[in-house]
Amino acid sequence: MIIDVNFVGLIIASIMASAVPLILASCGELITERSGVLNLGVEGMMIIGAISGFALMTVTGSLIIAVFGAMLAGVLISTIFAFLTQTLITNHVATGLALTIFGIGISAMIGKNFVGIPGKEFPVLFEGLKDTIPLLSPILFGHSIVFYFAFALPFITSYFLKKTKIGLIVRAVGDSPESASNQGINVRLVRYACILYGGAMCGLAGAYLSMIYTPQWIENMTGGRGWIALALVVFSTWNPIKILIGAMIFGGLTIIQFHMQAIGVRIPVQFLTALPYIVTIIVLVVISRDSRKIRLSTPSSLGKSFHKDN
Amino acid sequence: MNTNLKISNVTKIYPGCVANDNVSLELNSGKIYALLGENGAGKSTLVKILSGVVIPDEGKIYLNKNILKLNSPSDAKKNDIGMVFQHFNLFETLSVFENLIIDSDEQRENLKEKIDTIMKKYNFSVDLDVPVLNLSAGQKQKVEIIRCLIRSPKVLIMDEPTSVLTEQETSELFLSLKKFSEEGILIIYITHKLKEVMQLCDEVAVMRRGKLVSVSQINNENIESLANKMVGQDLKTIKKKKENTSSEQLIKITNLNFTSEDPFETNLVDINFSLNRGECLGIAGISGNGQSELFQVLSGEIISNKNSIEFNKNFIGDLNPQERREYLMAFSPEDRLEQAAIPQMAIFENVALNNFKSSNFFNNGLINKSKIKEHSKKIISEFNVNTDNIDLKSQFLSGGNLQKLIIGRELITSPDLLICFNPTWGLDVGAINYIHETLIKINEQNKSIILISTDTDELLKLSDKISVIHRGKLSKIMNAEDVTSEKLGILMGGGN
Repeated sequence: MIIDVNFVGLIIASIMASAVPLILASCGELITERSGVLNLGVEGMMIIGAISGFALMTVTGSLIIAVFGAMLAGVLISTIFAFLTQTLITNHVATGLALTIFGIGISAMIGKNFVGIPGKEFPVLFEGLKDTIPLLSPILFGHSIVFYFAFALPFITSYFLKKTKIGLIVRAVGDSPESASNQGINVRLVRYACILYGGAMCGLAGAYLSMIYTPQWIENMTGGRGWIALALVVFSTWNPIKILIGAMIFGGLTIIQFHMQAIGVRIPVQFLTALPYIVTIIVLVVISRDSRKIRLSTPSSLGKSFHKDN
Repeated sequence: MNTNLKISNVTKIYPGCVANDNVSLELNSGKIYALLGENGAGKSTLVKILSGVVIPDEGKIYLNKNILKLNSPSDAKKNDIGMVFQHFNLFETLSVFENLIIDSDEQRENLKEKIDTIMKKYNFSVDLDVPVLNLSAGQKQKVEIIRCLIRSPKVLIMDEPTSVLTEQETSELFLSLKKFSEEGILIIYITHKLKEVMQLCDEVAVMRRGKLVSVSQINNENIESLANKMVGQDLKTIKKKKENTSSEQLIKITNLNFTSEDPFETNLVDINFSLNRGECLGIAGISGNGQSELFQVLSGEIISNKNSIEFNKNFIGDLNPQERREYLMAFSPEDRLEQAAIPQMAIFENVALNNFKSSNFFNNGLINKSKIKEHSKKIISEFNVNTDNIDLKSQFLSGGNLQKLIIGRELITSPDLLICFNPTWGLDVGAINYIHETLIKINEQNKSIILISTDTDELLKLSDKISVIHRGKLSKIMNAEDVTSEKLGILMGGGN
């Protein structure tokens, strides 16, 4: 059997495309968690982003307004979370779960009028270069700008956390909000900013799903990707590069098991469907085994409310 | 240039307590000032006001005649007031350099140069690239000091800086502080250790119950006079009577090893010792050298080889703490509110946690509340716990009262052996005295104690035998009379 290299390239490209929303949401949540805030509302923020993007695109016709609108929607809903957890000092876990339930509900309500409407075509970059290099061309060229941004994001995030002053402050707040506060860092402000940024990235991830990946609105179309994104953050031990690896494995197995089901491999379907979840977790656990490194990258104050006493 | 710091009529009231009551104090550079007081005397609140962490209800602070607005820690920094907190304000998972650069506005290279200069000048050596959690307490403190010095402060406040240091580290610190003082930095040294005040300081201000009770030259004071000012009454000091202890062996530890999976714990290597009835074995060491692991192994929180612990002729190495208690062992862990008691539970409930087969606290799975309460009242009256409300949540007891309750809970069943870990950590002089008296008393009743402590003075006062733990290894057992604090300090640092 002769395998067409361009076909392999296309499969890899489709794997990467399915990893995009995971990478975006995980990298956003990673920043939030690095500041010590556990936001379990990722799924909710993603679905809000998805419906906002799709609705704005349909109503205004402008893709730019739609994409930024979806990010803004993510910011707005995460502002609720930030206000509750940082200003009113509510429990992170309960508030995050509520956010997800809220997001799924309200998106279904808004989405009623948008079911069945076809999406718009999203422009792709470097389309002309698509046939220049075998294997690599379909991987490198002809994708949306969000796709390229997503694959740059883990590296940007890593650079931000390790090399910049603001990244250092985010890590410091996550390590010990008490010390940070005594050093004159405004803990609440930093955490607000990190939560809002996480919201924006989740909104973008949702918009990618409803506008680019499968350009249409289906109720509950995030389908648990928010939870996978959350799990990736933890199992990657808060390392953006490992998030990239995890998201690729997850995306890859999801695509491959579809193909395996299609060609009729004699493995129970349920097992094939579960495969991406199992393998992703095993791989991430294995590559993150160094308990010293875990200790150094785990935000010590994760999920704990910080209340400045005075 | 001379620095003059004036604290004028400062008052800070918390619900139910006046932390600072109209405190006025004037300080000048070139001198080291001691701020002395028991826990809760208000000295921490006062320095928190000076460092901008706490805002006073009334009163003003002047630096060189200029009024200071200290609404946040950064205000204090801007006004050249540096502070080294008792509980370090460091970010454990960040590297030393990251900890230093985080609140500095300087470029990386400039800052590195500045840090190098400071380290050379004061003979500090700290690796800038390791994460802070790998440093010893003494090194962490140096990082804190460097952080202050980078900003060339006019005032440097040290809050109980020696509580985590060895003897050698303490004298190094004192040398540095004297040098800073000569260079014109005004130093405020907060402590409740009288010996240190006499060694280091030029002037001493004593606080009691939120009030400033005296300010005097150190030359006019001695340890007794300061202690009396601090407590407000005459303290009797107790001494241990050296008696002939029995030669009957109570506990014997043979080849006890513990290997931890957690890289931040210390492994115990070949622990061997034995202890007779009526004796107190003191185990000295700098914190983090395996003390908590040793305590856990001895108490049964970590189970070891059955034959490694022989107690009263029984091999009990594989028993859990509850089972060991039935053999008349008792335990007082280091962390009172995390390990010894449950903060959100009432006093009597905490008492019931120490449940014996013989105590009848539970009938057919139901709680026998009246029995427990009766038992709790007995503990409270016998061990001088200053409360009559046994329904009070234990988190509202002061450290001293809580420790008395815990020691009482352990001792009321008259165990043969009490294992305690830093029993007087963070307590005030009165409570320390009481705990020490109690420990001496149980020795006199021919019962034994294993005292794991980081306080050398306490060990020398109470122990019959002393050993030092360093990196999970126990030194040979020495007679307490043959040991000096200098010698312990050397062993604690890993010397011979």
